[in-house]
Parts: sequence; structure tokens; C-alpha cells
Amino acid sequence: MKLRSNRVFSIARKEFFHIIHDPRTLMILFLLPVIQLLMFGYALNLEIQNVEMAVVDYDHSPTSQDLIEQFQGSKFFHVFPYQGEMSDVESLFLSRQARVIMVVPPDFSRRLQHNPATSVQFIIDGADPNAAINIQNYCEQTILLFNETRNTRLREPFSVEPTIWFNPDLKSTYFFVPGILALILVMISALLTSITITREKEMGTLEQILVSPVRPAEIILGKVLPYIFLAFMDASLILLIGILLFHVPFQGSAILLALLTTLYIITALSLGLMISTITHTQQVATMVAQLVTLLPTVMLSGFIFPIASMPKFLQLISYIIPAKYYLIIVRGIMLKGNTLMQLLPEVGFLAAMSTILLLIAWRRFSTNLEA
Amino acid sequence: MRAILYILRKEFLQILRTREMMAILFVAPLIQTVILGFAITNEVKHIKLMIVDQDNSRISREIARAFTHTDRFDVIGHSHSMAGVEEAIHGWKAQMALIIPVNFQRDLQRQLHPRVQLIADGLDGNTAGVAMGYARGIISGISRDYLLSPQRRALVKNIRLVEMEPRLWYNPDINNAQYMVPGIVVVLLTIIPMMLTSMSLVREKEIGTLEQLMVTPLKKYQLMLGKIIPFLFLAFLEMAFVLKAAQFIFDIHMKGSYALLGSLAFIYIFTTLGLGIFVSTITGTQQQAMFVSWFFMVFMILMSGLFIPIDNMPALLQKLTYLNPMRYFMSIIRDVFQKATTFHYLLIDVIPMTIFGLLIFTFSVLKFHKRIG
Repeated sequence: MKLRSNRVFSIARKEFFHIIHDPRTLMILFLLPVIQLLMFGYALNLEIQNVEMAVVDYDHSPTSQDLIEQFQGSKFFHVFPYQGEMSDVESLFLSRQARVIMVVPPDFSRRLQHNPATSVQFIIDGADPNAAINIQNYCEQTILLFNETRNTRLREPFSVEPTIWFNPDLKSTYFFVPGILALILVMISALLTSITITREKEMGTLEQILVSPVRPAEIILGKVLPYIFLAFMDASLILLIGILLFHVPFQGSAILLALLTTLYIITALSLGLMISTITHTQQVATMVAQLVTLLPTVMLSGFIFPIASMPKFLQLISYIIPAKYYLIIVRGIMLKGNTLMQLLPEVGFLAAMSTILLLIAWRRFSTNLEA
Repeated sequence: MRAILYILRKEFLQILRTREMMAILFVAPLIQTVILGFAITNEVKHIKLMIVDQDNSRISREIARAFTHTDRFDVIGHSHSMAGVEEAIHGWKAQMALIIPVNFQRDLQRQLHPRVQLIADGLDGNTAGVAMGYARGIISGISRDYLLSPQRRALVKNIRLVEMEPRLWYNPDINNAQYMVPGIVVVLLTIIPMMLTSMSLVREKEIGTLEQLMVTPLKKYQLMLGKIIPFLFLAFLEMAFVLKAAQFIFDIHMKGSYALLGSLAFIYIFTTLGLGIFVSTITGTQQQAMFVSWFFMVFMILMSGLFIPIDNMPALLQKLTYLNPMRYFMSIIRDVFQKATTFHYLLIDVIPMTIFGLLIFTFSVLKFHKRIG
């Protein structure tokens, strides 16, 4: 099979103008990643503040007042007294007025004078488990402070000196910029291409092209090229914003990153081609593409949630998610200055995956057309 | 009425005819639920830890051992130098290193308050922060035990501590799925009516059958009802299916009233159906419709509190979330599912959600009528 480059390019040009003539597509392609980046950069803050805390003080002593003031002084809590009946305390959670309720027992100050340990109950709204754990930790820290000020001999015999490498302020943007890069590349390369090709099938134009002298491979290449170009543009835009606005460092080689990004785009394109060979309508292609590209890229690649914390069967699935490898590549090159030698396993995996997917897609595509 | 039934039959046949579509409509949500329910957790486990024990004393070995007894840390090896740590963290082999300095035990016995060093790879800021927290917890536990050990009791005789007695209501086992699964149902109730309605309406335009339908005696509202009722029905079916399946898979339980949840879901679907119709009026091809719906979806999801709690957002973004219809239903379903919240507590969400639903739906239907008229 011989390919004519001028035919490929004329198809590519037609497809390219087709895309850029539609402002909606362009808006989504360029605006969506930028807004996502800004949202993740500014909105994603897992630290909660101003937790509403209701206090039921049965003791009414100076000591219990001290304890309450310790919580009032913390920036995490907004403390208010609860006047109602204890039996009706749940209404605080149901109406979302409080997320934690501190109950100081009646003999609190007396017990604290005589016993080595006196307990105070904290009822936490566990409906949002992550928030609940955070709230519990803040309560523990505040109590620790309270204990330390009242017991000067409590100093720990040894302690921890924490050091954080690469990202001392623990900024989440360092992690999200590569993540959004991987996501947007998959979206353009796999989702868009699968829909574009399915569209030709649905409209019946694929058969028309078949009787023309253009070869199937030329059509596919011509259709795919503009998307590769767009994917690169988008990737550069995301990187620029990340570096200029969020000050994400770039330690490694830009050329290496560009080369390996191409490899990742090829993998994603092969996936898109595969999807287009197994679906017949755009609606189905959309749903399948979302299911096998977007969802795993966001959820199972380590983009937001660490793979090692997932159950075993999801960890196994993550091995066949291209974004998992690409994320290590981008994060490694940008943030750690990794070289090709350090990234060989990831590169090998992506290359193998592209080859296999392309072979399958190619065989299916040819039989599809002949049938 | 007969006309509506005919077009309903046509639409249902069209959906049912595509066998792959039916498979997708029921398999996809299930896969989504399983992945989201299991994958979304802020709990951090199996952190790859390298240990550098330069002291090799009784207490240093005790500290190192404490890290092997938990599934939060996987000890991937020991090293004797900082160079080994550097290489392991740069090469993605370790995420954290614990370094116990020389003469640690001697300094401890002399009450010099020695420090163990913890190094974390901060690339994943969240994981690093959580992991650091766990590690400090383990170490301060050992430190506390050491302080209160029998031979040192005398020193700490007069200590009086307040202890925290935490009670977690609604979710004592910290089961993330219980929080996430209802959220996923909201996403389904958004995707299916919005994306599929818009694509299905645009498809008629794209392949030219809308004109054919227009020359039939069919009224416009009949056409519209025929398009939206099947997806309304499907969305409900999927909600029931996913809620039931998830309770079985994740061992979670619906605490509240299905009747309440169902009727509020019905109000919410008006919003998403309306958005679907709206999208179909501003797009010409299915690809565009898919994309524009996708655009709305991403925003609505990000601003709904599904992944990022609204309370954690900056004040301005928090205010913007009040414009997001999904925000209200997200709170409603999570509360009804987990807390069995009753209707009057939910009014603060139900009222704005209903207003949004009516506005969006009416506006879109009018726009659609004008468009094809």
C-alpha cells in the first residue's frame, strides 16, 4: 500500500479548516483546559477552614471555658453554643448548621484535677468522610495544644524533622498541570478522532470515499493529522500557563518531553481508531470513548488519586492505562529532571501498547471496509 | 395523544434497535460507579518508604519496625547513605525516606531531644502531606510510649490529659463509597438526559430527518415530548439500577425515602433535559452537541462539590456554585441517602433547584420552538 503525501495533506487541510471554522469546537479545545487548570489551581484546596462547631457545655467551669477558648482561637473552627435539648442534637447535622459537636461532661473540671485522663466527646458529621477525618485531626491537634499548655513536662522525648523535596509548599498545581496535559491529549486524540471517523460511517460518506481513488490509510492519516497538530498546540498552551502562572518548574529536556508526548499521542490515537472500528453511531462512540479514555485517565492514572491506595483489581487495570505512564514521564521530566534512561520502562510500555492497538485497529478497519 | 404514542414508539425502537447503545446505557454506569466508588479515596496507602538507620540501636530498630507493621507504608529497602535516598526518590522507587541519625539512642538517654528525619517526595502534594501526617503519628506514638514507659513514670506523675472521644455519625467505618455513589447517580442523571437528548435532537437535523418530521401532521410539542420522555424514563431506570447495584456491590444502604428522592430527582431532570434541548438549539452536528454538553458537564461537576468540597473553595467560587443546579441535587441526594434527611430540612436546596429547573426548561423549549418554526 503506497501513500500519497499530497492526498494526505489535502484531506488534512480540509479537516483542519472544518475544525477551526467551528468556534464551539475551538472554544472547548482551548478554553476548557485553561478553565480546568485555573479551577484546579485555585479551587482545589483540601484543607477546610471555618468548620462550624457547636458546643454543649454541661460543666460551666473556668476549665471548660479554657477548652472552648482553645477551639475559638484556632482558625479551623467557628464555635457557637448549642442551647437545645441533647436529644435533638441531630438537627444540627440535618440542617447543616454544624459539622462537629463538642460535649463537655458535667464533672469535667473535677475529673481533670484527679484523673490522668478525662475524655470529652466529639460528635462528627461523617457524611463527607474526608472532611470528617480532617475535622477529627484538627480537634486532636487543638486538644494536644490544650494539653501541652497545661502540662509543661509533656515535651516529647524525640521528634520529627520533616523535609519535603521538589515541592516544599505542597502545591497541588505541580501535580495537576501534567494531569490536565494527559487528559486533554487523550480527549483530543482518542475521543475526537473516534467520533470523527464514526461520523463518516454514520453519514455513509465512508463508502463514497471508498469508490474514489483515495486509499483508506490516506483518509485516516489525513483525518488524524490536524488533531495531532491541535493536540500539540493545546499541550503547549497548558504548559505555558502552568509555568508562567503557577510557576511549575521545568527541570528536564523539552525535546525529550516533546518526543515522548508524540509517542503518547500516537498511543491515544490508536485507541481512538480502535473505538471507531467497533462502533457504528456517534452516540455510542461518545459513550465508549468516555468510558475507556476519559474516565480511566482521570481516575486510574494517578492524576488525582494515588494508584497504590486503590483495591488490587483497579491497580491491575491501571497497568493498561496509557496516561499512567505518560504522567510519570511528564512529572519526571518537568519536576525531577529525569532522563530517557530513567524512564525506559514507561517508554517501552507506551511503544508496545501503540503497536498492539494499531495492529488490531488496522485489521479491523480493513475488514470493516471490505465487508 | 395517539400521535405522541406513535413518536414515543419510534424513539424507543430507535434506542432499543441499537443493541450496543443498550449495552452502553447499562454497562457504562455500572463501570463508572465501580471505578469511582473504589478509586476515589483520600486515604493514602502503601507509601513506598526507604529506611536509613544510621544508629542501629534498640530504639532505632523499634521505630523502623513500626513502619513495617502498617499497610500505609511499604518498606522498599534500606540504605546507609543519603545518596541512596536521593537515587531512590529521583528514580520513582521511593516516595519517602526515614532517617535515624547516628547516636540517636545516646542523645535520647541524655534527654537531648534528638530528631528523626523524614523526607517526602512532594510532587503529589496531597499524598505527601497525608503520608507525612501518618509518619509523624507513628513516631509520636513511639515517643509517647517511651515517655510513659514504667521506668520513666515518676517523671510524668502529675500529667493530666484531656482525651478526645470521637463519634462519627452516619459513616462510622469511613466508607468513601457511601459518599461517592449518590454523587455518581447525579452525574448519570445529568449525562443521559443532557447529552443523549441533545445528540438525538441534533441527529435529526444532521441527517435531514427533522424536515421530514416537520411536514408530518405532528405538532412541535408532540415531537418534543416524544424526544424527552424516553430519556427521562431511561434516566430514572438507570438511577434505580445504579442505586440498587451499588448498595449490593459496596455494602452501603439507603437511609432515606425513595419516594422523596425520586420526586426530587424528577425536578432535577427538568433542568438537565432543558439543558439538552438548549444545547440542541445552538449546535448543528452531533459532535458539536456532544462537545458543548461536555463543556457544561465539566463545569457543573467541578462546581457541584462532587470531588472538591464547596466549603474548601475560595469565597468567590463558592458564590458561583449557587448558579449551578447540580450543586443542589448533589447535597440533596447525599443527605437523603446517608442521613435520611426529611423534606423540610431540604427546602433550602429544593426551592432554588425548582426555580432553575423551570426557568431552564421553559427557556429551552421556547428557543427550540422558535428554532424549528
